[in-house]
Amino acid sequence: MFRRSSYASVAAGNSGQSAAPTRSGAFSHLAGSSPNSGPQVHYLSTSYSQRNSRSVDVDGHNMMSTSWGRTGPLPLYSSQFGYMNGYVGGNPDGPLPSFFVPSYLRGSKHAENLEEVHKARVAAHREREYRSTHSPNTGSLSTSSSSVNLHKGASSHRGMTHDIVERTPVFIDEPVAPWPTKWSDTDRYAQLEVEEGGRLAKFAGAQKPHDEAASVRADYPMPPQCGIYYYEVTVVSKGKDGMIGVGFSGPKVILSRIPGWEPESYAYHGDDGQCFSNTTSGKPYGPKFGTLDVIGCGINFRTGTAFFTKNGHYIGTAFKDLKPNQLYYPTVGMKRPGETLRANFGQEPFAFDIDKMVQAEKASIQDEIARARYPYKDEIDETDLIQELVRQYLTRDGYVDTARAFKEEVVEEAMALATDGTAALPYVEVEEDLDAINRQKIRAAIVDGDIDKALKHTSAYYPSVLRDNENIYFKLRCRKFIEMIRRCNELHAQCHPVPTPPSKRSTTSNFNNRNSTATDEYDFEMELDEQLGVHNNAASWGDRADINADDDDDIEDKEAKLGQLTTETIEYGMELKSEFSNDPRREVKRALEDTFALIAYENVRESSLAPLLDTAGRMPVAEELNSAILVSLGKSSSAALERLVQQTEALVNELAEDGGSGAFVNVRRDFLQ
Amino acid sequence: MSSSTVSVSAATPTQHVFYRKINEIKPSKADINFVIMDYLISEGYPRAAEKFAKEANMQLPVEEESIQSRVEIRKAIYAGDIDTAVNKINDLNPQILDTDPALHFALLRLQLIELIRTCTSTATSDITPALNFASSQLAPRAATNPDFLKDLELTMSLLIFLPSDNLQTQLAELLKPSLRRDIASRVNEAILCSVGARGEARIRSLVRLRLWAEAKARDSGKDLPPFIPLGLQDADNSVNEANGNSEAADIMVQ
Repeated sequence: MFRRSSYASVAAGNSGQSAAPTRSGAFSHLAGSSPNSGPQVHYLSTSYSQRNSRSVDVDGHNMMSTSWGRTGPLPLYSSQFGYMNGYVGGNPDGPLPSFFVPSYLRGSKHAENLEEVHKARVAAHREREYRSTHSPNTGSLSTSSSSVNLHKGASSHRGMTHDIVERTPVFIDEPVAPWPTKWSDTDRYAQLEVEEGGRLAKFAGAQKPHDEAASVRADYPMPPQCGIYYYEVTVVSKGKDGMIGVGFSGPKVILSRIPGWEPESYAYHGDDGQCFSNTTSGKPYGPKFGTLDVIGCGINFRTGTAFFTKNGHYIGTAFKDLKPNQLYYPTVGMKRPGETLRANFGQEPFAFDIDKMVQAEKASIQDEIARARYPYKDEIDETDLIQELVRQYLTRDGYVDTARAFKEEVVEEAMALATDGTAALPYVEVEEDLDAINRQKIRAAIVDGDIDKALKHTSAYYPSVLRDNENIYFKLRCRKFIEMIRRCNELHAQCHPVPTPPSKRSTTSNFNNRNSTATDEYDFEMELDEQLGVHNNAASWGDRADINADDDDDIEDKEAKLGQLTTETIEYGMELKSEFSNDPRREVKRALEDTFALIAYENVRESSLAPLLDTAGRMPVAEELNSAILVSLGKSSSAALERLVQQTEALVNELAEDGGSGAFVNVRRDFLQ
Repeated sequence: MSSSTVSVSAATPTQHVFYRKINEIKPSKADINFVIMDYLISEGYPRAAEKFAKEANMQLPVEEESIQSRVEIRKAIYAGDIDTAVNKINDLNPQILDTDPALHFALLRLQLIELIRTCTSTATSDITPALNFASSQLAPRAATNPDFLKDLELTMSLLIFLPSDNLQTQLAELLKPSLRRDIASRVNEAILCSVGARGEARIRSLVRLRLWAEAKARDSGKDLPPFIPLGLQDADNSVNEANGNSEAADIMVQ
């Protein structure tokens, strides 16, 4: 054991027990660092990119980046961010706009996309920080274990984060349109002052002549991909006679006029309650508004309409036939000294129940989808189609036993339905070839954590696959290392029982009862070993039996075994490193860094890297290998069901692009989970 | 690892840009497996579900004790044994049929159809049981709802035409096995809803979403290839797909 910790401390430099915060803990740090915020207000100190300069400012208290589980999904992400309130002014470190999701957009596809981008920015920033404070030599072994310290003194890195997107698991080809976060500091009339980090707009200066005013646009246009976009302003002071216009305008509309008067601008005016579009003559619309009123402005991109609310009450549709491809920025304009407006772009709860409106819109679209049927019912039966999709997926992906059971059950079902004994059986032939069984074996080995066996089988049956797919080979090798560390951890836990209550994550339950299969194949394994001349590792990593060995096993025995395993793990790690350390690919370097960071921890399960150890990580590797084998056999890499999902998402994206009904559908969240 | 893609794109210069967009989307296997498991459980394939849990390293959803009953009820409905089905449904939860008169009526009507089928199978048989059943069980319910009444009248007209080889489509529909299947599936969904589960298997919603999205996208003039095949029929037509000239026979094509 001591060997490992000493190795770790050498490798990680200053880390030792630096115990990076767990993911949830990270956010409490953020809250703690804001001096004048209530308990419900959280800071997220990573900045959001500006329209003109895509840069990231992160100051010393950005702890977030220390705690990403870098691989694996982040299911809690959206809920955590949903409540993240933004900048509230008075931040001692200077204005730092934050990332937030307006309540009505939580769970939407667009919000997820923006979160991905944001995550990538944070990760990229972390990498910069890391690179700038570490020499390359120590670097590959520690990364995040010590990054708590890295942020100190690393002040700001402007304009360095262009190449961030490539690390996200989701491919974001086209830039994701951000939503407005504040009033623009530049896109404003000079006499209009912007304060409180862009939330407050205030008329300062002399009164304007009759037909002039001062307007300001938000930093970004309202993204049509939201489907419905909505923001609110509070009239902090209406000045002398409340010549205030709230609405939206195109990017080129001159700012010396109140919105609504110019072409491509639309607004609701406080002094007369009229709404104006493209012209100086308004039409009667709603009540007048003044100090302390909360005015909301929303666009429904699907219907091309706009509406306003006052103090939480819907007033009605103000404008119809908005052009679909026009950019509209939230815009306010004022005329009199002292007039002051405070904007809420979703950083805070809204006065109007916009969530309900969006929900209703979603529900009506879901209804429409549920009613979709094939036009020629006789030719295509939905139930048959689905059975076929499932059947094909199961056989293609090598779920041999499942496919067999499914077939039997489907046949039984069809027989039961046959009124006259002449049922058309849905499918009789199941391509249960040797190939499917081989692939099943390989998958089973990976799922059991027995990477050696999987490698052996793969090179025996499909020799070209690992050669042609070096990235998969690399992943398998990394996975093996992870499995070794897993076992070290488990043995360690057995030798040194922790007095604290057991962690929620149950480790043993993840092991399948595949021991029987393992023995069945024993002879075959031997044979294969001889055939291939594969050298077996001294401690066969695939043999799981000894992990759950009797408790009365001598602790000393285990200590010895642990010592041996630890040595072997480190040896294997060195081997792995020397094999791949010269690989120029960025993702390979990254994976190596992550993997090696694991050994820096005394107890990885308590660390932020715990997700790496999760057995759930086996499945993606297994699937990737299976796909590669299928491709090598000349078959398409994905099953029809997967293609259906791909096509569906792509189609929905098309429909969401201009704010159509697709904007209200989140395929994954609404249909796959 | 974010990493490179495994999928081999058989890109050719003629490939429609939409295929590139499709290929950029990487559905997670975990999601797909979840959808499969959801389907096996909710549409009642317990043995396959059990195997799948093992093979895909997933947890078998525990809450499902109704699965065996659901399979049996389906079997009974498929076999035309509506009495047994109704009894089993009521054993499970009598509320299900009480709170869904339309479903109850559909089951009773199915029972009537089975009676009529038996009654008219030979020229000499007696139609009294069918008439009795209709007047005692269905007529009182039909009186409360014009839709029920219309369905009942249509069903009763079977008595006049049967036996016949040349029924009008509306009547022929009533004798098809697909009616049993549809009603069995409605019963299944009702049972699932009664235990607080989502009624419909996700894969069904997904197939409809796919259908809806394509129709919608074509309606709004999006630039799409003429056909977007799934590649179900021919496992090796991925090359065709990439070229966008796959057979129109593919199942998703409208």
